[in-house]
This record gives sequence, structure tokens and C-alpha cells, in this order.
Amino acid sequence: MTKFIIRRVLSLIPTMFIIVTLSFFLIRFAPGGPFSSEKKLPEQVLQNILKKYHMDEPLGKQYLRYMGDILKGDLGPSYRYKDQTVTELIKQTMPNSILLGSIALGLAVFFGVGVGIISALKQNRWQDYMAMSLAVVGISVPLFVIGPILQLVFAMKLHLLPTSGWITGRAGILALIMPAFTLSFPYFAYIARLSRGSVLEVLRSDYIRTARAKGLKESVVVAKHVLKGAMLPVVSYLGPAFAGIITGSVVVETVFVVPGVGKIFVQSALNRDYTLIMGDIIVYSLILVAMNFVVDIVYGFLDPRIAYK
Amino acid sequence: MTDEVILQVKDLKTYFHVDEGIVKAVDGVSFNLRKGETLGIVGESGSGKSVTNLSIINMIPNPPGRIAGGEVLFHGADLLKMPVKDLRSIRGNKISMIFQDPMTSLNPFLRISTQMVETIVLHQGLDKKAAKAKAIEMLKLAGIPAPEKRIDQYPHQFSGGMRQRVMIAMGLSCNPEILIADEPTSALDVTIQAQILDLMKDLTARLGTAVILITHSLGVVAGMCDTLCVMYAGRVVERGATGEIFAEPKHPYTQGLIKSVPRLDQAQGDRLRSIRGQPPNVIDLPDCCPFYPRCDKAMDICKRKYPATTEYGNGRAVSCWLYTEAK
Amino acid sequence: MSPKKNQAVNEFNQQVKPVSLWADAWKRLRKNKMALFGLWVVGIYVTVSLAAPILPLYDFSSQELTHVNLPPSLKPAGQVALQRLQKRIAELEAAGGFREDLKSDLVSAKAEYERLTAEISTKPVHQRVYILGTDYLGRDMLARTIYGGRISIMIGLVGTITAVLIGIVIGSIAGYVGGRTDNFLMRFVDILYGLPYMLVVIILMSLVPEGTNSIVILFVAIAALSWLTIARVVRGQIMSLKNAEFVEAARSMGAGSGRIIFRHLLPNTLGVIIIFATLQLPSFIMNESFLSFLGLGVSAPSASWGTLVSEGVQGMELYPWRLLVPAIAMTLFLFAMNFLGDGLRDALDPQSKNRT
Repeated sequence: MTKFIIRRVLSLIPTMFIIVTLSFFLIRFAPGGPFSSEKKLPEQVLQNILKKYHMDEPLGKQYLRYMGDILKGDLGPSYRYKDQTVTELIKQTMPNSILLGSIALGLAVFFGVGVGIISALKQNRWQDYMAMSLAVVGISVPLFVIGPILQLVFAMKLHLLPTSGWITGRAGILALIMPAFTLSFPYFAYIARLSRGSVLEVLRSDYIRTARAKGLKESVVVAKHVLKGAMLPVVSYLGPAFAGIITGSVVVETVFVVPGVGKIFVQSALNRDYTLIMGDIIVYSLILVAMNFVVDIVYGFLDPRIAYK
Repeated sequence: MTDEVILQVKDLKTYFHVDEGIVKAVDGVSFNLRKGETLGIVGESGSGKSVTNLSIINMIPNPPGRIAGGEVLFHGADLLKMPVKDLRSIRGNKISMIFQDPMTSLNPFLRISTQMVETIVLHQGLDKKAAKAKAIEMLKLAGIPAPEKRIDQYPHQFSGGMRQRVMIAMGLSCNPEILIADEPTSALDVTIQAQILDLMKDLTARLGTAVILITHSLGVVAGMCDTLCVMYAGRVVERGATGEIFAEPKHPYTQGLIKSVPRLDQAQGDRLRSIRGQPPNVIDLPDCCPFYPRCDKAMDICKRKYPATTEYGNGRAVSCWLYTEAK
Repeated sequence: MSPKKNQAVNEFNQQVKPVSLWADAWKRLRKNKMALFGLWVVGIYVTVSLAAPILPLYDFSSQELTHVNLPPSLKPAGQVALQRLQKRIAELEAAGGFREDLKSDLVSAKAEYERLTAEISTKPVHQRVYILGTDYLGRDMLARTIYGGRISIMIGLVGTITAVLIGIVIGSIAGYVGGRTDNFLMRFVDILYGLPYMLVVIILMSLVPEGTNSIVILFVAIAALSWLTIARVVRGQIMSLKNAEFVEAARSMGAGSGRIIFRHLLPNTLGVIIIFATLQLPSFIMNESFLSFLGLGVSAPSASWGTLVSEGVQGMELYPWRLLVPAIAMTLFLFAMNFLGDGLRDALDPQSKNRT
């Protein structure tokens, strides 16, 4: 087990290395630097700026310098947000995004699994049809449509919730409700369909027939024999779901004006703030990779057939 | 074996409704099972053997399946009309089942102990500790070495033969009156098959359990069973004591089956016989003897009507126009 | 035997209809009401999009400042605008007695009213009927939504086709050649899989120099990263079919690799590919709109559904139709595509294990 974890951690290093290297060169070779779109700067000023950010050095040297800084946890200065380093910017915004993302993931898993199980147990009855229609809505309606429509209904017409913003303290919980539900909706829908399908498949399996032939009550059959096996696909979906939630938070944070990484990320992309873009990508990839790692381990705990070799 | 009949299946009909029509998987099956008896049900795949036995404990998935008629009397009570709650106290307790594929019939996510203990606790009212002791004792009886250790393992840590031993131990752990074994050895290596059959024979004889053994192998039946039902396309075409049927098979299908078993005393160079053709697809069968397209003795009437059953007494019966008066 | 030549019978002299895989799938699809509904809706959308240039629509980009933010109505635009001015004048007069700052508003509203009354019968523009209202520049929402849909659907189609083609090529190479090539390609796919895909597209979009045709770049960016799943699926199918008896038979008769791949393997994976493509298309459209919504996608004067929704969000409290019209149009199409995709999956792959 320990061996497995160590091996998995070591295998993350090349992946992260490739991601960082690729994005570094991709961005450096891209046409149009961060300062090219501004009004014509005097030659001398431009030279000074380039020098300040070490952009006048040969590419190889820049790359080594950047790698060295990253290992020290320094993601460089932001080109646009003067006087702030990328590390600072990410540190300020990340907690908000993580809070929002984890609440959304939690909601998606909790409701998705619940609805999926009910739907499978009531297959082809009205509960199933209702749940699956809701799931198709969740899969079909884009986040940036759900978000504004929720705002329109619950904030502007009914005045139940704040339209947007991020307040700390008790009022913050109200402000969190809409963004969290919006963000969780597509993943709720997908998880509901996934768990319905896998519960149905397990229900048809031989070992469930055995359990019923033993005279167990249907509720015991479901709780004890069906759920564990049926949850495995859901667990392996958590990795991609988390990636999706990170992406989705870009839109949700924009719509609901949440001061999170996603909003900064869009800003940096629109402003061509290259150091900030790279910092975001590195942090996002790290989170994703870590999440997949956790999912693997949880999966191993659930499925005794997996041996950590 | 006594003469007390504990299970009576009367004119059982189980149909499946599929897109293409109605599949009459079991169509009027009747037989009796006496205390301590071993009954074999033989037939090709798709002949309705397994569906018959799932119907006995009312476990046909519905939809698409439906028990369309008949009675299953266990000590006189009809299992098909019994409330689910009462039925559950019989399943796994008085009547237990062993399935074909031991690789998939045990829950891969739960320890053997969990799976055995839950049954014993449920039906015998023992506490968990006593139930585990009982489970270990059953595993030992079933020939599992070091059962105290192995009981805490997961199914994937057992070989196929060992898993089937676990299934047998689990099936017999509540001292059932009837053990239904659905092709218990078909998924196993030939060398293991004999061991498992011996184990079943030995244990059920010791515990006085009646057995319904479903198989497609006449070899298995010959060594194990007191009586025999031969099924074809959802119907019992011939039944009777095993010895009598082997000595003098009446139905052309039974004759064909027996001839197609390779024998050691066969002269070298003799060709092995086989029954030509395929078992029929039982969707929307017309009223006829379903065997006639493959039968050497088929007559005109065979194509128009299913024959009535001719009884010979002592449980011997055959359904074939060759033995029916009204030709 | 039965008298007719082509009719097969079984051993009981019952007729057996030979059913091809596709006929069988069509039969199953026809039974699925939601899938049929999806097929109809998709058909209508595609027809309208194709026919848009010959439909009696107003120009989707011409601005008409007197018609700004008109609500959906069946009356001519001039009348709707006049009514709105009347209401405004009445409101201003009610409040105006006490507030100096509103006086100039009242004056200009009155002037506007008179000008409009004068030209309403002479200018044909005021005879226009905006059944779905207008946007913040007085453009017809109906025309904009239809033309936006054209772009969205086109991006979805081209993206899907590109992704499917790349996926088929890479997937079949990996599956058919196997060994090291397979290992290398799949490692590559794994690494790309690990990336948050939309974020990479966002970065690619941000790297594009301003002023280039963003639609083309968008195709490339989305398609370049979305062949991964198809490649995996095709590879899996090819690997399992590669050693099937019918392929052995073809090989033993001297068929070359190309023939085996194109004549024997790919046609057998077609079902899976179709299912996949149908489910991929809505996700392409969603991704494109996602980028356009953030301002990184289709740029003006072109518009996609995403751009329209994004424009509609500004001022949705006062002019909700500007958000609702494109949002509903888009959602309905995505719905239909998803129903169709689910239906196709059930029809073509009834034993599918990955039904969700």
C-alpha cells in the first residue's frame, strides 16, 4: 500500500513536468506579448520592462529560471496586476474557489447518488421518469444559462437571494447557494444517470440473485449488496467531475462575481497575462492530479479485487 | 428417502414478454419431490430448466417474466400465492439455491464471513459470534482447508472449485429441506466437477436434504439422482426413476440424449450419435410437439397438436404421440 | 419450403423475417418517443439553419436605433415603439412636476414622439414585426437567434467531424498496430486527458493574435483536444475485433491491412462512432458557447448562441426576452440532441454496458 502510494506520487512528477514545459513554450512562442496590445510604448521603456521581467534573456535561460522559481513556490510577478505576484493572487482567490467547488461537488454526489438509486429501484415508474427528465435538463442546459436564469428568478423577481457577490459570515451562506447549485447541476445530472445505470446493472448480477435467494429483505439487498459495487463507477467519475467543476467555476464565478481563481483566470486570458495564466494552469493541474490520486486510493479501498502491486 | 412428498409442482407456466412475442420458457411443468430424494432435471440450454427452479421460489424477474399459472406446493402451501414476507423466511432457509457460476454468484465486495453470517443470523436467530462459528463449521464440512482463516477473505482469493464449496456450505448452513443446484459444476474444470458432486451427494445424504439438480449432463444425473425429469422447450417430456429411464427410454428425445453419451464399452470405430438440428427458439411456438423437426419417428399428428401425458404409475410418464391412444 | 424465394422459414414452417442490424436499430429507435421528438427538432433546426438566407428574415446585423430593446410583439415595430414612448411620457409627466432634472427628458421624449409619428407611415422600417423582440442595438432577435444557431451548429458539426476523423485514425492505428506504437499513443492520450480541457482551449484562444478569424481558430482549438475519447473507444473496438474469426478469415484469404481496417474493422465500429458523435455534438456546441459567453469565442459581427446569451445577461432584469430567446432556442436544441443520442445508443447498442 505505502509502496503503491510512493510509486503513484513519483509518477506524478513527469506528468507535471510535461504540463509545465509545454505551457511555458506554448506561451512564449505565441504571437503578441503582454505589452504589445497597449498603446505604443517608447522603445526605451519597453526595453526596461522586458528587462524587469527577464524577457530579454535567451529562452533556455528563461525556462531554467522559471523552473527554479516554481520549485521554490514562486510563480513570478503578474504582468497586469502590478505589485502583486502570481502566488499572492492565487493564494487570495484559491480558498474561495475551493470552497465553492467542494460544496458543488458535495451537492452533486449527494443528490446525484440519491436520485440515481431511487430512479433505478423505481425503474420505469414516474419517479424514474421525473428524475431522468431532470437529469437530461441538467446535461443539456449550459451553466451560463442556468446561472442567469436563477439570478433572474430568485434574486431579481422573488428577492429571495442576493444576485451575486461574496460576503463572509452568515450572509455569505445565502450568497453561496445559487453559485453552488448552478455549478453542481450538470454533475448532479451526470452522477444521477451514472448511478442509476450502475445500480441497474448490479441488480441484474448473479450475486444479487444469490442474495435474494438467501431470503434477505430487499432493503438489505440494496444497502448491503448493491451499493458498494454500484458506487465504483461514481467514484471513478469523481476525477473528471472535479476537472469539470474547475472549468465550470470559471463561468459561475464570472456570472455570480465570485472572487475566485476562475475569474482571475478568464481575466488573465483576456489580458494575456502570461505568468498568471501559467500559474493558474500549474495550480489547476496539481489539484486535478491530486484529486485523481485520491480517487484511485478510495477506489482501492472499495474494491477488494484491486491489489496495490 | 421416504414417500412423503414435500414439494409438488403442478402445471407451472412461466412466460416472458419480449418485443418479438411471448416466450413460453416453462409451459405446464409438473413433478413431485419427496423427502431426501435427489431429482435431476435434464435438458439442453434454453429448455426451461433454470426458469422452472427460479419460479419455484418465485424469483422470476418481472417484467419481462411472469408466472402465468400453476401451483408450487411446499408442505401443502402454495409458494406462488404466499406473501413475500413468508416466502423470504423459506428462501435460503427451507429451500436454498446454488448457482452455475461460482465466480459471479458470490458478492465480490464482501468477505465470505459477512455473506455466510448474514444468512445464518437471519434464519437461525443466532448472534453473530455463534453464526460465525457455525459458518466455519460448514466450511470445514465443505472441505475448505483452514476455514478459520479463509472465512475472512474475499471471493476473489478463492479458486472456482473452492468458491463452489463455499456456495454449498452457505446453501446448507441453515439445514434446508430442499437444495436446488442449478448446473453447479458446468463452470468448473472436469477434475473438480467430480469432487464437487461427491461433496454434494455426501453432505445432502448426511443432512437428509432433498436435492433438485439441474444439469445438461446425463453423466452427472446417472451418478447422483434417484428420479429424473427430461425437459424440452419448456415442457417435461419424460420422467421416472433414473434406472428405469436409462434402461428403457421411451421418448425419442430421451433416447437420442442417452445415445449421444459416449460410452467406454462402445466398439471402436462406432460413430458417436447426435441429435440433428438445434433446440427451437420458443417464441410463439405453434401447437405441436416442439421436437418433431428433429425427431426420426415424427408423424403427421406431431405437427398439429401437443401430445397428452401418458402415465405408467410409480412416477413414470411420457408425453409423446407414440404412446398415446388417440392417434 | 415456402413458395416465395426470399422468405426464410424456421423448422415449424413459420416465416422468419431477415432483419439487418440497421433495420432493427431503426425499429427500436421508432419506438422511442423522446428520440423521435429529438430527431424532429434537430431536423427542423437544421432545415431552418440551411434555409436562413432565403427565409423572410430581417438582416441580423442591421441596427435600428428607434427600435432598441423592443419586447416581443405581433404589432408593427413603429406602433410598439410609439406606445412605449407614450407610456414614458405619461410617467415623466406624473413625476415631472416636482423634479427639474426630468424636464429635459420629457422634452426629448416628446420630440422623439413627434418625429416618430411623422415618419411612421413613410418609413417602411417601422412596418417590421419583431415577434421575438429586439436587442440593445435594435436588431431582430429572431434573425439573430437563427443566424447564431447556424454558427453554433456549424461549429458543432465541423468540430465533431474533425474530432471523429482524428480519433478514428489515431484509435485504429493504436488498436491495429498495437505494441509500442499503441503504448506511446495511449500514454500521450492519457496525459492530454489529465489536462482541464476547456482551460487549455481558453489559453489557446488567448494566444491567438487579435483580428484573426476567431471561428476557424475555435474549430481547431476545440477539435484538436476532443478526439481523445473517440480514439480510446475506436482503439478498444478494433482491439477486440482484430482477432475475431471473420478478420482471421479475411486475412487468410490475403486481404491487406488497409482492406481489413476499412472493409472489416471500421464498419463494425460504426455504431459506436455514430452514438459517440451524436453525444459529442451538443458538448461541442456547449463548449463553443461557453467560450463565446466569456468573450473568448466568436467575435462581432458574427454571433453564436453563446454570444447572444452573454449579451442577454446584460440588462436581463428589464429586457428578459434578450436572455430567454437565445437561451431557450439553444437549450431546446441541446435537449433534442441528447434525446436523439440516448435513443441511438439504446437502438444501436442495446447491450451497452455504459448506459447511463
